[in-house]
Amino acid sequence: MATTLYLDYRMKRPKSLFVVVIALLPLVLVSCSIFGGATVSGGWGGTAFSDGIIYAGTRGGRVVAINSSTQSRQWDYAITPTTAIYTTPIVDGDLVYVGTYSGQVYALTIGQGVERWVYPRTGSIGAIVARPVVANGTIYISSSDGRVYALNTTYGDLKWESEPLAGKLWTSPVIIGDTLYVSTFDGYIYALSTETGELLDWSFASEAGFASSPVIYGDAIYVGSFDRHLYAIEIGNNVTMWKFPQEKQAGNWFWASPIVNEGIVYAGCLDGKLYAIEAKTGEELWEFDTGGPIVSSPLFADNLLIVANEAGNVYVINPNTGGGERIRNSENDSRPTINAQIKASLCAQEGLVYIRAEDNQLYVVDIDKRAVSWNVSLTVEK
Amino acid sequence: MAAVWYLIIGNPLLNVLIALSHTLGGSFGLAIIVLTIIIRLISWPLTKRQLNSTKALQEMQPKIQELQKKYGKNQQKLQQEMMKLYKEAGVNPLGCIWPMLIQFPIWIALYQAIMRALATTPENLLDLAQRLYSWDVVSLEIPLNSHFLGLNLGQTGASQSAGLFLAILVGGTMWVQQKMTQAPSVDPRQESTSRMMLLMMPLMFGFLTLMFPSGLALYWAVSNIVGIITQYFVTGGWGYLKSRSPSRSAPAKGK
Repeated sequence: MATTLYLDYRMKRPKSLFVVVIALLPLVLVSCSIFGGATVSGGWGGTAFSDGIIYAGTRGGRVVAINSSTQSRQWDYAITPTTAIYTTPIVDGDLVYVGTYSGQVYALTIGQGVERWVYPRTGSIGAIVARPVVANGTIYISSSDGRVYALNTTYGDLKWESEPLAGKLWTSPVIIGDTLYVSTFDGYIYALSTETGELLDWSFASEAGFASSPVIYGDAIYVGSFDRHLYAIEIGNNVTMWKFPQEKQAGNWFWASPIVNEGIVYAGCLDGKLYAIEAKTGEELWEFDTGGPIVSSPLFADNLLIVANEAGNVYVINPNTGGGERIRNSENDSRPTINAQIKASLCAQEGLVYIRAEDNQLYVVDIDKRAVSWNVSLTVEK
Repeated sequence: MAAVWYLIIGNPLLNVLIALSHTLGGSFGLAIIVLTIIIRLISWPLTKRQLNSTKALQEMQPKIQELQKKYGKNQQKLQQEMMKLYKEAGVNPLGCIWPMLIQFPIWIALYQAIMRALATTPENLLDLAQRLYSWDVVSLEIPLNSHFLGLNLGQTGASQSAGLFLAILVGGTMWVQQKMTQAPSVDPRQESTSRMMLLMMPLMFGFLTLMFPSGLALYWAVSNIVGIITQYFVTGGWGYLKSRSPSRSAPAKGK
């Protein structure tokens, strides 16, 4: 190249040129890492509440148990080597289950956080991003290798693994009776036998990929799509009942899994709005704009809807009217409710909402007082 | 600053890349190839300027070598005379470097576009949602098919068997492109420098191919091949590709 010709002239010693070329290498590496690359932040595993204890995965790859009465740590378990945790822990019996981004499932005792089993015992399956589901002594896991795995909850033995259903599965399965339903990024909903993992006759294909985990209410599956619509699909039928919005698109993807209560679907969207939709017709009842992308699913607490947006604002909404109120930041009203992003699933118990925020702290919001009641750091001092 | 970058360059490139992928039957690899050719066409005025400067410098080589022989022992005088020669010929040696520097942000933008489009992590996918336009061709293409000719474009070359082939392709085409324009020098020291440069850059990019997602390496390989073709037609032939270095062809001096 001409540059070489010029450098030939400029460079007094070949050694200098060597230094220039070597210096280019980290420059390119650093530039690319600064300007965008494959980022894993540490995960956004949500919270689970059981018998006065809150369980959460931390950004440091630990599973922690916080006593809600004493607001102190009961135990913590470090997963090694360190990995990100995107899944919300599930408590079933005397065990708490967590899936990791490194592709392993851990079963820990709820009392002391002692490892009961890990699957697979050596090696790993694909990265686990979606929350596993427990039903009838079996834990069902979606994996980034595109398969669903079914494990015995007591010993972690593999019951079955499905054939690859997609390039990767980042959505949680749903179990109804002896059928497991799972949606895929490439636009399919599959029905599998919970006993054998074999594909059943019915499946649904959509032109656009499905972004959210499905929810089942009655005979219908409700699922968000990459084409900025929420779909209602009748199980056993290959026809879409409705898609929302009906004529135009929403402002972004329906990433968070919707919830359904008394015939109304509540769907948070990455355009910042929470939509209330008639489950049978797809008709919009109301919408509430939170002003920031909604990453985590809304939930019900004390007959009120609670929704958090990515910016850290938490809202209490009347499900009948759609009227809402932002929970204020006690230190500075102009700031979001929580001074950190919220991407993780929330859980609620007796008027308190438990939120693991992106600053690796657990925040507890009191619905009655409309205030953050207390918070505790999930970071372990070394 | 970052917001302006994404508004003007990053996000448009990302959406065009995804829309292209949809238009080309869902082949993301093909979209990268077509986008690379489009980028090369857009940057053609810069490339032409660079090639013309290269050609001018090549044509000046006999005079430069003459000066090197004449003032080889007096570097200061050599430098003065060469600058004088460049001035007389109306050639700015630094003019060759600017077009290359301008391509650097394009690399970065394309790297970002490839990584963001493939969304290999949950964070990347969530981030992608905020960067996409509401075009149907974009919505229907998510998630992208990252497989192309036995490569997973979202994974590093080192993590897949076809990655080594890609590294050799990137390094080899870069070597050919450089060799076509690299004039032999009579000064053994400069000849040694040239030879090292000729080897170091292809080796470095071959190494980077193993370290970076294969989608970016595919861009480098296609970009090099397009570069070779344009150089062939603009400079008129294979240039110095077949020439041997004078220090090798000259008879060895006894000690």
